[in-house]
Parts: sequence; structure tokens; C-alpha cells
Amino acid sequence: MSTLTLNGVRKSFGAMDVLQSIDLQLEDGEFLVLLGPSGCGKSTLLNIVAGLETPTSGDIFIGDKRVNDVHPKNRNIAMVFQSYALYPTMPVERNIGFGLEMRGVEADTRKRAVDGAARMLQVDHLLDRKPGQLSGGQRQRVAMGRAIVREPELFLFDEPLSNLDAKLRAEMRTEIKRLHNRLGTTVVYVTHDQIEAMTLGTRIAVMKGGVIQQLADPMTTYEKPANMFVAGFIGSPSMNFVNGTLARDGDHVVLQTEGREPTTIRLPRVAANLDGLDGRQVVLGVRPESFSAATGDTADLVGTIDVVEPTGPDTLVVLAVGGQTITARLGPKLTVSTGETLGLTIHPDSISLFDPKSGGRIG
Amino acid sequence: MITTSRRARLGWNIATYAVLITLTIFCIFPLVWTLLTSLKYEADIVTQTMQYIPKRITFDNYVAIWTQSGFPTLVFNSFVVTATTVVLCLITGTLAAYSFSRFHYPGRGVLMLGYLVIRMFPAVLMIIPLFILMRGVGLLDSRFGLALAYTSFLLPLFVWMLKGFFDAAPKELESAARIDGCTRLGAMVRIVLPLARNGLVATSVFVAIAAWNEFLFALMLTTSQGSRTWPVGLQLMVGEFQLPWGVLAAGGIISIIPVMILFAIVQRTMVHGITAGAVKG
Repeated sequence: MSTLTLNGVRKSFGAMDVLQSIDLQLEDGEFLVLLGPSGCGKSTLLNIVAGLETPTSGDIFIGDKRVNDVHPKNRNIAMVFQSYALYPTMPVERNIGFGLEMRGVEADTRKRAVDGAARMLQVDHLLDRKPGQLSGGQRQRVAMGRAIVREPELFLFDEPLSNLDAKLRAEMRTEIKRLHNRLGTTVVYVTHDQIEAMTLGTRIAVMKGGVIQQLADPMTTYEKPANMFVAGFIGSPSMNFVNGTLARDGDHVVLQTEGREPTTIRLPRVAANLDGLDGRQVVLGVRPESFSAATGDTADLVGTIDVVEPTGPDTLVVLAVGGQTITARLGPKLTVSTGETLGLTIHPDSISLFDPKSGGRIG
Repeated sequence: MITTSRRARLGWNIATYAVLITLTIFCIFPLVWTLLTSLKYEADIVTQTMQYIPKRITFDNYVAIWTQSGFPTLVFNSFVVTATTVVLCLITGTLAAYSFSRFHYPGRGVLMLGYLVIRMFPAVLMIIPLFILMRGVGLLDSRFGLALAYTSFLLPLFVWMLKGFFDAAPKELESAARIDGCTRLGAMVRIVLPLARNGLVATSVFVAIAAWNEFLFALMLTTSQGSRTWPVGLQLMVGEFQLPWGVLAAGGIISIIPVMILFAIVQRTMVHGITAGAVKG
């Protein structure tokens, strides 16, 4: 187990900056998820930590040791790859034990370690098979076995579940979490799947364009996104954005929407700190589940139902509100239909306001 | 309707087989003819009427070429030169192909193009400069010198073919191996080479056959029996006043036997290697 510190890590390929001054501090036993769309630099960052890429500038510390010039094999890390990267010519047993073999561990000790890891991951009956004879899930387990058998200081996962089907992915996600709870090793985990990020991470670093947009625990990232990118990237369906201008209407702060048919959205009372923002142009962000159906005066906004999508546990309702579109996640068995008007209330304490120009969070 | 389409298909099948059989006969006839000639008495070879199937068979030609000429030495020389060429190509070509496949460095593109350009010149053009070079370093009329000359024009083929096989091996495997404790070279030897085994075999066989059958370089760069290879030796048996067809044919048959054995052994691996990556699987 160990800490990981990145100080001003930059990476350029020619004129293209892939990473722009990344600073990170990971405590012992933390599970950091690097989350972002393709090309945001998350895998490059992981490769730099692994030693497979060299940073253009900046320092990497594993524990107290600066590892910039240390060979990957001497960093005491283990990595699980998206393609599993199992050695096709070797049986499972040798695949798992290869790292120990390279380190000159005796055959007996190696066998014990491999057996232990294989049992833990329930692949002990597959030790004689070649990777080509395994299913996707089994390969994934073997790849994890190869990582844990060496008892490294740091685990690196590069989108390890993206090649699995949905059911298996959910199972393996639980397995990884269980493994982390059990071993307590520090983990850096790269993914573009926000569910994985939310469920696994003790902290999430949301990345875009080689910059960490927000580094926080999952719930903070979800409830108080630092900017519109983070707000839009995390959550499915994603957060609703409504452009408008803040104004005061009696006791309430309201948002006068822009667009073809301007309307007014009443903001929850808790937004008292918004008093100073009268007349300011903002983007209102509300999560779909922060709406509830309402009638009459209690409704904060009223819209026309465009699409109704029952998903089983709840119903997604797409509404046209003042020329803009809003998606609300409402309860199951909702008896509404397209073309009707529907009033909604916004759950107190669950709105975000962003600056329309910078996209940064205002409140 | 059905009958028409069936008849059309039958017609196509007949045409296809006709073409294939013609081509096969065209390819195999010289070999069969050489074999038959090697089994005939000299008197039955040059006759007034063509004798396709020999009326009587003799192995005298084989005995003659093996005992009364330097043919065993020629074949041995060919073995040594071919083996040396393959080993030289394997060592240098594998490293070169890996470097082209995995690293990006200044001049990489130019170097790869340079390898190709060598193949674009006719061999005749290279012989005189190569002759002067070999004479300069004292490698003229030596088996190693000849192998070096073969390597110079077979290496590009080897490197380009092998690069394709290396490109097909996932880079992540090496990353995993490096994290597991291998050096770059270690990862290549332990992980990539076993994966590219079929490719290595296929490429080596191509090089071996080319070196085994080569004539022009061998003719120019060797002068004595000590380093001469079999194609040159056979050619030199043709004298001004004699043309020993039977003996020449026997020499030809003996010379293709090693190639046939090699093919028989590695055929499956080689076809695997050549078609690797052609289909997903």
C-alpha cells in the first residue's frame, strides 16, 4: 500500500498537449477513478504512472520515492488492461505467476501465491487452460489475479470492464469493490462509465482536454458539479440545463427563461444566497430526479409533455418548457400522456447555477 | 429454371477445373520431366522419337552425380550458405522489424523506404559494387561472404514481412510484460516472438528457398569448389562438347528434395503464418 503524488505532470505529443499540468495527491488505500470521454488524457495519465509513457515535465511519486526515471517493473505496481493483455502462449497458471517468475521467486512459493490468487478469484479450476479457451469474464478474473498475486503498492486499471456485457460488468464491478475492501491497496482506475466511477471510487477526477475538471468524492461530484461539463457528463439521463435570467418575484427567486416562448421557473426557497444575483444571466441545472409532479400553485414550473418513457422502476417524462426541453424522472405507473400539461416542483437544495460564458459553477 | 441454373453452375465448374488442371500440369510437368529424364539411360534421352515414359529405368545418373562429381560438396556449401543467411536474417531482421514496428524515431520512414528501394533495383546492378566490396574486405569466394550478399537483398523482404506480424501483436502485451518485470528486449523475446512464431517460420522459409536456389550472385562471388553452391555447380557441368542431361536432371532432383522436406515439415505453420490476421478468429 502506498500514496501517489503527481506534481505538475504534463504530456505533449509534438505540438499537441495531451495533459496540462496535472496535480494529484492520493492517500494510502484510496480508490481514485479517472473519468472522462475518449481522448481526455486519462489513459495517458495512467500510462505515465505505470512508467509506460514518460511525462514531458512534472514529477511522479509513489510513496516518498520519485519514480520518473524508474522502470515500470521496479515501480511495484500492477496493471489490468482493457484487453486483459494475457499472454496467449502461456497457460493461466504461468500468466498469473509470470510477474513472480520474472522476479526470481522460487517455484514453490510462486505456486502457493498463484493458487491463493486463483482461489480468491475463483479461477483455480482453469489454471491449465490457455487464455484463448476462456470466456471474457474468466479472462478478466485471470488478469486481476495476475495483478494481485504480486501484492503491489498500487493497482492501475485501464477500463477493465468495457469489453464485458452489461450483466458481467455489474458482477465484476462488485468483485473489484470487494477486492479493494479486502486488500486495501491504493487504486487508480480509468473509465468512461460514470456508473463505475460513482460506485467504485472514493474520489473521482473528471477529466476533459487534459485538465482535471473536478476532483471530489462521488456524491459531491454528482450533487455539486464544478462546471457544466462535469454536470452533463455524470448522471443518466444527464442534468437538465435551462438558460435564463434570475429575477425576484415576491418571496421567490425565479428564472425567466430564454427562447421562443419565455416562461418563468420558480427556484426553491433554499436558494436564498441567490439574492445578490438578480438580473444575472445564468444556466440553471437540475437533475431529472430532482423534480416531482405537482398541481396548481405548488408547481415551480409548467410544461407540455412531449415524450413519456416508462422504464419500470420510474417514468422518464420529456417536457417542453418555454421552448427548452427538460427531462424529469418521476414515479412508476404515472398516468400522463403526450400533449398534456404537467406541473413540476423542484426539490429544495438540488439546483446548480452555472455561468453561461465560462460554464463554471455560481451556486 | 432450376435446370438452367444447375446447368450453368455445372458449366462453370467444368471451366474452373479445366483451368486449374491446365495450370497444375503446366507447373508440375517440368518437375516430372526432370524426374523421368534422371531415370533414363543416356541413350534413351536424345532419341529420334520422343520417349515420354522410359522403357527401362536406371539410377546410374544419381550414382554418377554423387560419386563422380563434387556434387556432395556443392550441396553442403548450399546448406551452409542458406543456414548462415537465415541465421543472419533472423538475428538482424527480427531486431530491425521490431524496431520499425514499435519505435518512432527520426529517420525511421527513410530507413524503411531504403529497405524497399534495395528490392526495386535488379540484382545485376548490385553485383559489380558488391563484388568490389567483397574483394575489398577479403570475403570473395567464401561461403560467409556469399551469405552476407544474400542477406543484403533478402533482409528487406524478411524485415517487411516480419514487421507485419509484429504489428499484429498487441502492444498491451508488452506493456503488461514490462510491468511484470521484463525489459523491452525481454518482452520481445518472451512474449512477442512466441506469438509471431508462425510468421517467423514463414519468413525464414521464404528466405531459405531464395538463398538455396540463388544462381547469379553465387556465380559471380564464388570461384572455387570450396565455396561454390549447387546451382552454379550444375551449370558448370554443361561443357562445350557435352551436355549430360541425365546427370543434370538427377542433380536437379536431389537439389529440390531438401526444399520439399522443409515444406512438408513447416507447411501448416507457414500457411498459418501467411494467412494470420486475414480473418477474425
